[in-house]
Amino acid sequence: MIGFLVRRTVTAALVVAIVLTLTFFAVHLAPGDPTTRFLHPRMSQVQQDQLRRTLGLDRPLPEQYFRWLGSIVLRGDLGFSFVHNRPVSRVLAEHLPPTLLLVSAALLIQFGAGIALGALAARHEGSWTDRTVRWLSLVLYSAPHFWLGLMALLLLSYRTGWFPASGMSSVDALDWGRWWSPRRLLDTAHHLALPASILGLAMAGGVTRFVRNSLLEVTRENFIRSSRAAGVNERRILWPLALKNALVPVIQIAGLSLPYLLSGALVTEVVFSWPGMGRLTYGAILARDYPVILGATLLVAIMVVAGTLLADLGHAAVDPRVRAGITDHKAR
Amino acid sequence: MVIAAGVDIKGVNQLTGGESRFEQDILDQLFLRLFEEQPDYAEHPPTFEPALAQGFTWSEDGTVIRIQLRSDLEWSDGVPITAADVVWTYTAQIDPDIAWLEAQSKDSIEDVVALDDHTVEFHFSRIYASRLSDLNEGVILPEHAWSKLPFSEWRGNEEWFLDNLVVSGPFTLAKLEPQHQIVLERNRNYFRQGYPLLDRVVFRVIPDRTNRVEHLLSGQVDFVEHVPPKRSRDIERSKRADLISKWHRQYTYIGWNGCQGLFEEATVRKAMTLAIDRNALVEALWGEMARPALSPILTSVWAFNRNLVAWPYDPDQARRLLAEVGWEDHDGDGYLDREGRTFSFELATNADNQTRADAVVLIQAQLRRVGIDAQVSLLEFNSLWERHQNHGVDAILSAWGIDTSLDLKYAFHTDSIEDGKNYGCYSNPEVDELIARARRQARPETAAPLLRRIQQILHDEQPYTFLWEPMRLYGVSKRLENAQPNPLSAYFNLEEWWLAPKTGAKTGLKTG
Repeated sequence: MIGFLVRRTVTAALVVAIVLTLTFFAVHLAPGDPTTRFLHPRMSQVQQDQLRRTLGLDRPLPEQYFRWLGSIVLRGDLGFSFVHNRPVSRVLAEHLPPTLLLVSAALLIQFGAGIALGALAARHEGSWTDRTVRWLSLVLYSAPHFWLGLMALLLLSYRTGWFPASGMSSVDALDWGRWWSPRRLLDTAHHLALPASILGLAMAGGVTRFVRNSLLEVTRENFIRSSRAAGVNERRILWPLALKNALVPVIQIAGLSLPYLLSGALVTEVVFSWPGMGRLTYGAILARDYPVILGATLLVAIMVVAGTLLADLGHAAVDPRVRAGITDHKAR
Repeated sequence: MVIAAGVDIKGVNQLTGGESRFEQDILDQLFLRLFEEQPDYAEHPPTFEPALAQGFTWSEDGTVIRIQLRSDLEWSDGVPITAADVVWTYTAQIDPDIAWLEAQSKDSIEDVVALDDHTVEFHFSRIYASRLSDLNEGVILPEHAWSKLPFSEWRGNEEWFLDNLVVSGPFTLAKLEPQHQIVLERNRNYFRQGYPLLDRVVFRVIPDRTNRVEHLLSGQVDFVEHVPPKRSRDIERSKRADLISKWHRQYTYIGWNGCQGLFEEATVRKAMTLAIDRNALVEALWGEMARPALSPILTSVWAFNRNLVAWPYDPDQARRLLAEVGWEDHDGDGYLDREGRTFSFELATNADNQTRADAVVLIQAQLRRVGIDAQVSLLEFNSLWERHQNHGVDAILSAWGIDTSLDLKYAFHTDSIEDGKNYGCYSNPEVDELIARARRQARPETAAPLLRRIQQILHDEQPYTFLWEPMRLYGVSKRLENAQPNPLSAYFNLEEWWLAPKTGAKTGLKTG
């Protein structure tokens, strides 16, 4: 198992390095640079060139690349943001927690709702409940995030005022003590409810259909039939017997969901004015804020690679066949 | 009070940030300038009201201005504001390591000298009309607090300035949560007794314009700027909000690329203007919220040439003019051609602006009627401008936001082809001479005849087809009193705003 971990970690590091290098050259070779957006009529070419020199953009691209690489590898320094005028690590540290909060809550909703609805549909295969769940999951899966978000805002915020329409805290929250005070936590949960639900439910459609089909497949296996023949209660057949086995492949889906959730988070962050990595990265791309683009890419690449690795490990932990495969690989 | 903002600020140091108009507006609430420019430029050059300064006198030759500072001013930490702060701010503004974006405004200032704690002199190398405006560019910074960090370390260290923030303006920054909210609170050391009237102003960052309007209509915020014209009626009909409209300091144009031949001839450019129905464009895209533009000096500015007569929409006349210079449909394919070349060109704009995207499509259809093939390109902003700066776009639909200096060198002087924004290579020796003379005038008023002549030539030669001047629309809660946004700043008199209790309602459209 340790050998497997080392191999996967080395591969992951290589993947991250390749992604970063490609991103570095892609963003630097894209038209424009961080000074292009300063289009004030009175800003002269001389002034623009001076700014380029100050930011180090007048140096040859390979030199910029090796300086940047050197500062990451030798000092762990991601540079400073041209737009935010602060170390990239600080900028990312500010924007990552809201995205992690949003994505974690969305993951819970995605799998909580997906598994429950999938099991419900499988339990009542062919009934109107099954048809309704399948129809609902298809709608959720195919509807664009931004449309779902706007509808939710319109109905549950602007019209009824049940949920706040933007941000992650109330205006008065500053006077309610530290962020961990019960009132602040409730307030954050209130603000999180809509964006996390929309992001999570939009992704839950796929999980629902997957769990339903997987469960139906498992319930046709011999060991379930034997259990039924032995008179085991139908509820106990569904849980833990059938569902436990049907959920094994879902672990893989959880790992692979991360990139989709992170990309979906951008739209959700814009619609619900949620401060996070998606909006930060999008703004950085438009402003050609190279250090932030690269820092965000590094972070997302690590999260995706780590998510996949954890999914593999999780899969191996619950499925002896996969565990055996890893051991065999080691033996070879 | 809660204000919906489209963007946030990146920090508090104007010299390393201050990139957006919004950021400038917020920094103007934290730091005072020497003077406050007034939005009274419709009939005469803008006036300047004292802020940090109490008064000023010019030397007889007009190259030295002596400014008397108020003696009752303090930074928020209680340290007096003195002439030393003004001198030190100037040295920071021109420092190459800081590379301030507006440093060019200080090019003609030779020296800044503190005569005593409350008297400072600015020495100019030449006489020109916008000296006061140039010396007033930029807020005055706290030397005692910020000089501890060498200029060479200012870039990349915004945290340090946030940690060492002292202010002179009506508000101080209580909290900055990137992309979420900016919280301003009353500066208790502000020199105007009893102001600001609001204890706290919260700017919530809401990137989507439609969402911002919905926040206003549902009572979640009290003020919104940049209201989309299509949503103005919703605000007018609302029981919760009013609409304020002001003429914006911006004009939208099509810039013709005269560097590559097709639009080198003034006759062709004039024909293009005649072939574009600008009134129909304004009506379709803006309704009453914009008016056709005629000149790079806005209709609402004192130096606008009121003798200019708008070129009409006249496709027949456009065809005749083009025929005069050889552009006719010789091969009968429906498109004009000359010496075997079809009259086809790229009309580009930035894809993220829906109004401009709609405009280029309408213009494409109008030009088709006179036999011109305009190929529409909707490009990402940076890609568009890099090509445009290299003179690689045939025609661009874009806009300039302008200040009140009325210096037209940026886009219409021959020197600006290499070092400026004259990307269409427009060149006219008479215009060059007139611009140079206008820049040398001691007073803005004496430059007026020169500016009028320049406008007339540009009108005749059409290096740009001037399309429209938009209004800027603001949505204001009916509870909000005394909000007077203007083209210089949406938050011009923020210190005088106040919120009425939640009962009662005002009605009507506020216009300006």
